[in-house]
Amino acid sequence: MQKSVSSGSAGPKARKTPNPKKKAGKPESANAESTSKLAAVIKALAAEQEGKPGALLSILEKLQDQDQFRHLSEEALRLVAEITGEALSRVYSVATFYSYFNLKPQGKHTITVCRGTACHTRGSLALLQEAMNQLGEPDFREDEEPSFTTSDKLFTVRTVACFGQCALAPVVAVDETIYSSISTTRLCSVINAIRKEEKV
Amino acid sequence: MSDFSLQKYATRGLKTLKPSGPAISVGYGTCGIGNGADELFAALQKAASGSKILVKKAGCFGFCAEEPLVMLYLPKKPILLFSKAKASMAAKFIKALEDEKALDKLAKTALGKISRWNFRTSELVFGEGWDAVREWNEIPFFKGQEKFVLRNCGLIDPESLDEYVSVGGYTGLYRALSAMKPEAVIDEVKASNLRGRGGAGFPTGIKWKLMAQNKAAEKYVICNADEGDPGAYMNRNEIESDPHMLLEGMLIGAYGMGATHAIVYVRAEYPLAIKRLQKAIDDARKAGILGKNIMGSSFNMDMQIVSGAGAFVCGEETALIASAEGKAGRPIPRPPFPAQKGYRGMPTNINNVETWCNVPVIIAKGPDSLRSIGTEKSSGTKVFSLVGKVRNTGLVEMPLGTSLSEIVYGMGEGAGAKKKIRAVQTGGPSGGCIPADSFKAKVDYESLAELGAIMGSGGMVVMDQDNCMVDVARYFVSFTAAESCGKCTPCREGLSQMLRILNNISTGKAELKDLDELERLAWTLKDAALCGLGLTASNPVLTTLQYFREEYEKHIIQKRCEAGVCEDLFEALCENSCPLHMNIPSYLALLGEGRLEDAFESTVRDNPLPGSMGRICHFHCQMRCRRETMDEPVSQGEIHRYLADTMYKMGREQAIWKTLVQEKKKATERKIAIIGAGPAGLAAAFYLVRLGHDVTIYEGHAEAGGILRYGIPAYRLPKDVLDKELQLWDTLGVKFVFNKRLGKDLQLKNLQSSFDAVLLAIGAQGDRKLGIPGEDLAGVHPGYEWLEAYALGKAGKPGKRALVIGGGNVAIDAARTLQRLDSEVTVAYRRTRSDMPANEHELQGAEEEGIRFEYMLQPEKINGKDGRVVSVEFRVMKAGGMDTSGRPRPVATERSVVIPCDEVIAAVGEVVESAQFAKSGIPIAKDGRLQPNPITGKLLDNLYAIGDAVTGPATAAEAMGLAKQCARAIDSELMNRDAFATLFREFAYDMTIPEEPKTARQCRSRQVPPGQRQANFQEIALGYSGDQARQEAARCLRCDIRNNARSPWR
Repeated sequence: MQKSVSSGSAGPKARKTPNPKKKAGKPESANAESTSKLAAVIKALAAEQEGKPGALLSILEKLQDQDQFRHLSEEALRLVAEITGEALSRVYSVATFYSYFNLKPQGKHTITVCRGTACHTRGSLALLQEAMNQLGEPDFREDEEPSFTTSDKLFTVRTVACFGQCALAPVVAVDETIYSSISTTRLCSVINAIRKEEKV
Repeated sequence: MSDFSLQKYATRGLKTLKPSGPAISVGYGTCGIGNGADELFAALQKAASGSKILVKKAGCFGFCAEEPLVMLYLPKKPILLFSKAKASMAAKFIKALEDEKALDKLAKTALGKISRWNFRTSELVFGEGWDAVREWNEIPFFKGQEKFVLRNCGLIDPESLDEYVSVGGYTGLYRALSAMKPEAVIDEVKASNLRGRGGAGFPTGIKWKLMAQNKAAEKYVICNADEGDPGAYMNRNEIESDPHMLLEGMLIGAYGMGATHAIVYVRAEYPLAIKRLQKAIDDARKAGILGKNIMGSSFNMDMQIVSGAGAFVCGEETALIASAEGKAGRPIPRPPFPAQKGYRGMPTNINNVETWCNVPVIIAKGPDSLRSIGTEKSSGTKVFSLVGKVRNTGLVEMPLGTSLSEIVYGMGEGAGAKKKIRAVQTGGPSGGCIPADSFKAKVDYESLAELGAIMGSGGMVVMDQDNCMVDVARYFVSFTAAESCGKCTPCREGLSQMLRILNNISTGKAELKDLDELERLAWTLKDAALCGLGLTASNPVLTTLQYFREEYEKHIIQKRCEAGVCEDLFEALCENSCPLHMNIPSYLALLGEGRLEDAFESTVRDNPLPGSMGRICHFHCQMRCRRETMDEPVSQGEIHRYLADTMYKMGREQAIWKTLVQEKKKATERKIAIIGAGPAGLAAAFYLVRLGHDVTIYEGHAEAGGILRYGIPAYRLPKDVLDKELQLWDTLGVKFVFNKRLGKDLQLKNLQSSFDAVLLAIGAQGDRKLGIPGEDLAGVHPGYEWLEAYALGKAGKPGKRALVIGGGNVAIDAARTLQRLDSEVTVAYRRTRSDMPANEHELQGAEEEGIRFEYMLQPEKINGKDGRVVSVEFRVMKAGGMDTSGRPRPVATERSVVIPCDEVIAAVGEVVESAQFAKSGIPIAKDGRLQPNPITGKLLDNLYAIGDAVTGPATAAEAMGLAKQCARAIDSELMNRDAFATLFREFAYDMTIPEEPKTARQCRSRQVPPGQRQANFQEIALGYSGDQARQEAARCLRCDIRNNARSPWR
């Protein structure tokens, strides 16, 4: 628990490794097989959503949900544009406008710290800082980056504007589980339990 | 309308809604599940398997912090409510449903009961019984609530169309389709006075009429369920707990407006709401309530859900439409309004979830059903999410026009006695902060707008003394700046510039003129932004500037954040909470390194009375100590007492005092008079004389010390300790003139003309009167006056039976003194023990010594015989609702008692005696307190004031804190310099974070046992041993070790 006080003693800094440079204009496909699989998924989604309100939004939401790293890769965005006939610029504009979409791969476990007003007044900033300390990114600033993923892709820490669980503030979600009225001590033990399970 | 009938659904629904056998339901909303409702439900199913008990799910009843809520059903009996039910209790619940005796026993622990329920579209009687259990609406949280929108929430199974129909659901739609023309529907909504519940409050009927007038082949109704407003979640609950009411409202609206399609735009963060709404849509379609020829009529309509992907701006209707079209959600200028040209260019009407949910009742029961609730201009109810620093959190639905104080102190039951509520934030990022002294305001559209806030969608976040108002503004602006779509310049650029200024203020980098710039930007935004987001985004800034400007100024001028939120402005929370801003981590660390002299020097520079204050302080430092989250706070004050005692015992303080004398600033030739030699006057003198000024203290008594000498009894503070510490003032060359009283021996005008500055530190020593008959009888004494008389040896021997009235420290000091003088002492107080303002430690001591305490007694009359007191008559009180102090208000009962006594001490508070300044032009509050500038302490001209005379009765530490601040201001004004920081010294000490600390409770100093305290005034607390002090110092978690820590006086 004590390391929480520290700004720097919580292990080596683990900066994100930048994505390998991609060739301009071409999808980052590893092989043709995975591309055709992805295309099939998108085609199915596009057919399902055709004509419905908010079709593009729904396609992107569902596509992201199905992705192993819960993100929309450049290849995926290009394929969506191609298959739906929407301009790539519009697909990109939608994908970057909404906070739900991730353009970077997400960790296996997601720690979502609610930064709603009720949580803020009950100390959620300290929870966010604690999570970042624990995972080796003490200098994280929420106004600069929407999320942070550890280099081993085990954890992603992100914030959400409001979970709508305000009566139980502060609230943190770890994957699907919601922890209400959580303290920094409890958050640390949750993180450590996951680490133990994953044998890190 | 051929042969469609709701009857079969209703019959089926009633079987589970009001079951003919025992049943149990679990509150199964997101809040409930977050608290373990899923496990509880599974455990109940297991426990009930093989029995006839029906286990069912319900929505949320609104008391979210108390979830999971369980309801027990038995035929002909009221529903029993239980809060915070755990899976481990499942067997107990099931057993109780099978065994009447067990149930009667369990009923005693129930939160409440529901005998009958008004579903608004129908009423149901569940049964009678359990007289000792209160009815649900007698529970403080629900008292005064009017469940109109939440009419079914928590009672019906949200996934059951049958149950919705069984309480009268879809009868409104049936009436509209079978018996009303579309125009008639709109007329009724208009007549109901319903206004938009999304925040702006536009009359719904008028909006619908505009839409109805536009003819087109395709027309849309949209429900805005993109509740992006942080701190608000009622829409989530409304959909999760009763999705069919939304469906019905939208269908009725669509029929009235001639719409052909319906869309519900729900944010993706609400998965359960989406799931239940989808099920409701599917079930309704199957039942012929949605789709083609609804209910056998010619009306066709289908409905689809769009899940929003998280963008606050999508709450703006044109942005929502863009988003529903699959684009980025950027707003467009209006006109054209959506009613003319909306979704896919077609006429579109958008309403908030709650607006739609009001409609079914209006149509089923007529416009009066709504109009009879609320005020004339704002009819009906509003659901608020009452959250933040308040005891009861959850959803409250109250008639519009209810006052904020009814909500915060009534339903919310305040924040407890230890914390003071400062403000309520309504309307989220578009709303404002309303200060506690405006809580009389009614909650309706117009009243909130007058205060600069808005009703918004219904977020209501309560903030207390630990919340910084600058931080609140910064928080909201950083939110809106991030959520701004970037389309219009005022919003995009304005918000980022406002955020820059607010960041500067909260990190101590701003200047006063930045506040003007901030205000100018805020008004520009209000005038020139494109959409609602930008137009309202400055409200949080403008309201905090209006109501809490002083707090902004303290951040800028003093670089202090009293709430302890803006981390760049303090060293550690203990330091920030200490009114003297003692650098606590410094002396703890120095002691830990065995550097006793340095530790003492650090202490004495911050607080010249470390031994005395270490004995009697309220220890503000402990109230925010982070160690408390682990086990107990660090006993910082006890440690500086140890430092002082040890140094004095060895005579080693002299060397440090000598250092202070040597480093005195060059004589400034400025003369300063201080009136009053109490803690405030002494502290001011200590700093002013070291700055080189010629300081004279005038004191009415024969010796210095004020309340430390004449108020606090010797068993708490031995006078030799005080005498020892007071030598420092003589050493430093402060002049004392004793036995001189202001207004009698001294004239303020003369002092002001012969001194460069005059500082009033006269305290608050007038005793408040009881205001009851018999106060003039012999043997009745005001509390402080009596303590002072005793200290001066003038009190005389008290009678055998002494009665002390009051619950503060003066009352307890008087009681324990009387006890030592051989009286039998009773303390009578009008509230409960836990509501007493006296220090817990003192209270415990008094109890140990055998003093009798009588609670809930309010004095009414003092009886006398031959001019002397013989007894006091009391009214017995009981606890009422919460008052603004966060404690239950004492309410008179029928009963009264008489306590016989020979001596009465009335210690019910003190007031500032400022009558003599009445004609001097000095700003004085109604209650007599002097009102100087809060930062400099300046009253007018060269006259200043500090201490209790300014704050009213407060702690010695607070008085000394103001003295410090004022000494700095006087020096700066007289000399045009800022030399204050040079009075302190920075020590180098270990800056590594302690290793994993082990749980260790606070060290307790040795105490003289109660048996040995009789008939003497020997000091009770004997202080730490060296080992104890070092052990205690090592408990510090060192919050000061961080990059942005700011030393207190630099």
